[in-house]
Amino acid sequence: MASITVPAGRTRGPAARRSRPPRGVRALTHAALLIGGLAWMYPFIWTLGSSFKDTDEFFNRGLNPMPERFLWSNYLEAWQQASFGRYFVNTLLITVGTTVGTLLITSMAGYVLGRTRFPGKKLCLVLISATLFLPHGYTIIPIFDLVDRIGLLNSLWSVILVQAAGGVVFGTFLFMGYFMSIDRELEDAARMDGASFHQTFWQIMLPLSGPMIATVGLFTAISAWNSFFIPLVFTLARPELRTLAVGMYSFIGENSTQWTLLCAGSVITLAPIIALFLLLQRFFVNGLAGAVKQ
Amino acid sequence: MAVSGTFADGVTAANPPAGGTPGGTPRRRRRGRWSAIWSARWSYLYVAPMMVLLVGFVIYPIGASLGYTFYQWNGIGDPTDFVGFANFAQVVNDSIFWGAVRHTFTYVAIVTPVQLVLALALALVLNNRRLRFATFYRTLFFLPVVTSAAVIGVVFQLMFSNFGQSVNDILTGFRITNENIDWLGDPNVAMGIIIVVGIWHTLGYNLVYFLAGLQTIPEELYEAARIDGAGRIAQFCYITVPMLRSVGVVIVLLALIGGFQVFDLVQVLTNGGPYFATEVVNTYIYHLAFGGFGASAVQPNVGLASAASFFYGLLLIGFSAVQVVVIRSLARRRAGQ
Amino acid sequence: MKRRDLLRAAVAAAGASVLSGGLAACSSEEGNRTTPSTSLTYWDWYVSQAGWVDNELKLFDKAHPGPSIKRTTQVTDRYADLLALSVRSKNTPDVFMIPKLPALQEQVDKGWLLPLDKWATSQWQSRFPANQFVEGVNVFGGKVYTAPFAAPAPSLQLYCHHGAFKDAGLTNADGTIKLPKTWDDVTRAAEAITSKSGGKAYGLGFGNAQNFALAWWIDLFTRGAGSPGGTATMDYRVGRWTFASDRNYADFLTLLLDWKKRGFIYPSSMSISDEQARAFFSQGKFGMTVGGVWNQPTWTENKFTEYSLVTLPAPDGTPKAFFYGPPGGSFVAISAKASDPERAWAWLDWLYSKEAGKRWVEQGLGLSVYPDNNDPSLVKFEPFAEYVAMANTAFIGPTPTVRNPEVAKVTVNAVKPDINDVGAGLYTGQLKDVAKALSELQDRLNTAQDDAVKAAQAKGAKVSADDYVFKDWDPAKPYVHKPA
Repeated sequence: MASITVPAGRTRGPAARRSRPPRGVRALTHAALLIGGLAWMYPFIWTLGSSFKDTDEFFNRGLNPMPERFLWSNYLEAWQQASFGRYFVNTLLITVGTTVGTLLITSMAGYVLGRTRFPGKKLCLVLISATLFLPHGYTIIPIFDLVDRIGLLNSLWSVILVQAAGGVVFGTFLFMGYFMSIDRELEDAARMDGASFHQTFWQIMLPLSGPMIATVGLFTAISAWNSFFIPLVFTLARPELRTLAVGMYSFIGENSTQWTLLCAGSVITLAPIIALFLLLQRFFVNGLAGAVKQ
Repeated sequence: MAVSGTFADGVTAANPPAGGTPGGTPRRRRRGRWSAIWSARWSYLYVAPMMVLLVGFVIYPIGASLGYTFYQWNGIGDPTDFVGFANFAQVVNDSIFWGAVRHTFTYVAIVTPVQLVLALALALVLNNRRLRFATFYRTLFFLPVVTSAAVIGVVFQLMFSNFGQSVNDILTGFRITNENIDWLGDPNVAMGIIIVVGIWHTLGYNLVYFLAGLQTIPEELYEAARIDGAGRIAQFCYITVPMLRSVGVVIVLLALIGGFQVFDLVQVLTNGGPYFATEVVNTYIYHLAFGGFGASAVQPNVGLASAASFFYGLLLIGFSAVQVVVIRSLARRRAGQ
Repeated sequence: MKRRDLLRAAVAAAGASVLSGGLAACSSEEGNRTTPSTSLTYWDWYVSQAGWVDNELKLFDKAHPGPSIKRTTQVTDRYADLLALSVRSKNTPDVFMIPKLPALQEQVDKGWLLPLDKWATSQWQSRFPANQFVEGVNVFGGKVYTAPFAAPAPSLQLYCHHGAFKDAGLTNADGTIKLPKTWDDVTRAAEAITSKSGGKAYGLGFGNAQNFALAWWIDLFTRGAGSPGGTATMDYRVGRWTFASDRNYADFLTLLLDWKKRGFIYPSSMSISDEQARAFFSQGKFGMTVGGVWNQPTWTENKFTEYSLVTLPAPDGTPKAFFYGPPGGSFVAISAKASDPERAWAWLDWLYSKEAGKRWVEQGLGLSVYPDNNDPSLVKFEPFAEYVAMANTAFIGPTPTVRNPEVAKVTVNAVKPDINDVGAGLYTGQLKDVAKALSELQDRLNTAQDDAVKAAQAKGAKVSADDYVFKDWDPAKPYVHKPA
């Protein structure tokens, strides 16, 4: 990046002024973050609280998230009514399959599109960019026919394939942008040392992209985990292969919804995602991300 | 195409002319096309799986949908009822469509900048290793992303219907207004609420993108700058912003695309109402072609929906092309000065 | 540091491969397990009615020992898509609830359904009331494909909250509440509730967030005033949409706006959803609301039973038009590809039995096609008994496809803005002129109708505008279709 004007080779100050902001500023920062954060997560707290309410309280207590008494039975009922036990495993397999597949495919593609040159690259970029704006269709029929023809219908594989395909553009873009940001020197140095194309990618570049693996992985996992329409359609004759998000529809009737069970179901469904976020977020902490700076 | 232009530029910027394909043969000034292809064979291999999925599951369905735009078709069986450009004509001549375009652009024009600035500021604060409870805060701000649209709809409707401890009580309490506002039912207020909820809902995505992007900046740069006596603002302007450029372009682009395709939130909060005051393009298409919620068996019209969404896609491409041209000419003029 | 990262990556990769191995194992195992060809698949979209279906399945299994029936409840608003896709991929369930789309005629034309004549003999048909098997409704080309399950039902009612009425002093001498019968009654009751509650309650309320509740009000009140189409269909007496030429619509909208202006209507009515309005009504936030019988199970579950219902309030108290349905009807059908048609029929026959219908009514789910089942005295729950007693406000109306099956080939496109939009626009003041808005709406609808008929004619369908005109129809009486 040409705009970085910091001279290279400058020695590191041993104890570079640890300029910790004064106590007052820190307190203010925390207060702002806490107030903003609570407002931000209020709907989630409300969902959590409502998952313990009885149906009457759901609307009647309005915005008060606290139930009068905690109805743990909502969770049991939700779990059973929506066949969560079985659907949980399906959802997990689909999510892991989709995430691993998407990460492999998009990191490789993002790398070559971001850092190498080859005839036809522009065409690839044009195709990808155009699909960003053009509608992906108001009918699933072309994809459905395709999956049916390759004989994958009514299997978890079909869900993984279609789900992964839906996320490739997004992931490729992010990886491309990220690889473009990483300092070139590392790659050049590796090549000087005689590293092959594959070694450069798998041993140098990919390990450097921890934060982006975490980001793309997180969002791919979220969208696979919450995916509703794709699993519904591609397992239509095998309801035992459905996912949690499809199971949630057993709370939604034609004219009324079992809101408290829906909330309990949402909390059950969200818990693993939040756990994943907590697990991955250390990749977003400055300095711990790995060897970006060697 | 506009986008690819931007990226192609970025790519060339990142690839200094001296670089060839990594692991490739020594570079010659003029080489045959085939040897160029052969030397880039691993690049092709790496990009192939993505392109296969893209062609099979994205481009092919888009092509198929393009065919449907010329039919009146209920989505069952195969389309047979050819109508030519009638579907496009209907959309282009519909003032509600243009209203929806206006609402969508308003939404994007407000949500994108506000949200990106907020997300970047928050990312900078939360990226600080010395900030206590940063994990906790990051999780707080991320939660809306994973909250389902259906639940969001209920919570906000509860919030805006005046009961319990809700907003109206406060407003009347402070005598800001003395009559109840029908929040989502007031055509002037409803779009504002959609925008606020939109910012709330998708901030987490951009926060995570920016946090990831910030990890590419070597800390040495900041330390060096500090030693040189650069203040926080200078560090931000001369290190953070330029270093975030590549990934930043992608983040802005994804935010824009997400904004232009807003659907769920509007659907659950107002269903485009009252009287189209919050109708965005995607809800418009949905209502037009599928009759909307609770309508008595209206025949769905997949052809019309496809035509409307294609036309919208072309509008967006045209819009971004114009944008790129304008930005480039401005940059050129500035460079020329 | 670097090595540790690599190690970590390796561990992650190994973990992933184990999981994907598990995935492969899992799905291949499931793939090899052939589904027993004898088990019968049944699809429906009954979520809140699941209790009834499951009970019938249990009873059926007991009465007809044999391979079990595998019921799949598909997502309600995706049901039609899923069924069409199942046909496309040859995964059709053996027995299924007939999707609302495409038209039944098209399903038959495309060969989705098995003709039932082998079993549905005239003797079998005789258990139903007269004239229930009608060409163009459930009989196509002389073959029976399905049968009616429910009787035409009054789709909307005005619900009155006992507490709100009593607090406003709207009671009879015997302590029961004074139910509104006329438009003026509604206005007076709304005024009393609003003014006597001191701002705590409103006379009227609804939840229009999804943009359909206002049309319910228009439909219910204009039917009472004598507009037989309500907001649902055109006026078949003239074969045209009459939102402007029939002054009932403008009259009611003017009344509605007057209620709003006088502050009788719950102010957040446009912000809240129908379900929320249902909850607020049960809390007495407003005294009257319009809705269907589907309100009742939610209220019962929340132990709210203090309400009454009336239907079709009319300007002078005597309803002049009612709710109409086609003769006959449809419910479930057997797939043309059913693996075991005999057992599929046995299950279909079970669902159509008088006893199953009786349990349907007893559980408060709706009306049965068998009039004996619709006996208010059989129903213990008072508000549902009130509903059952209203069965006489719904009857057979003119149905163009019955007189001329070719009408099924006419596809009318939806118009925007529709009556829901116009209602909302007038209510919020975005549209100022009631007469103008209604007349534009009427023109839009009639143009769409004419275009659709012309398009069908161009493709060779023998249809005309006259197919929608039923000059001999008296909206106060069931319509008898004369054979063409």
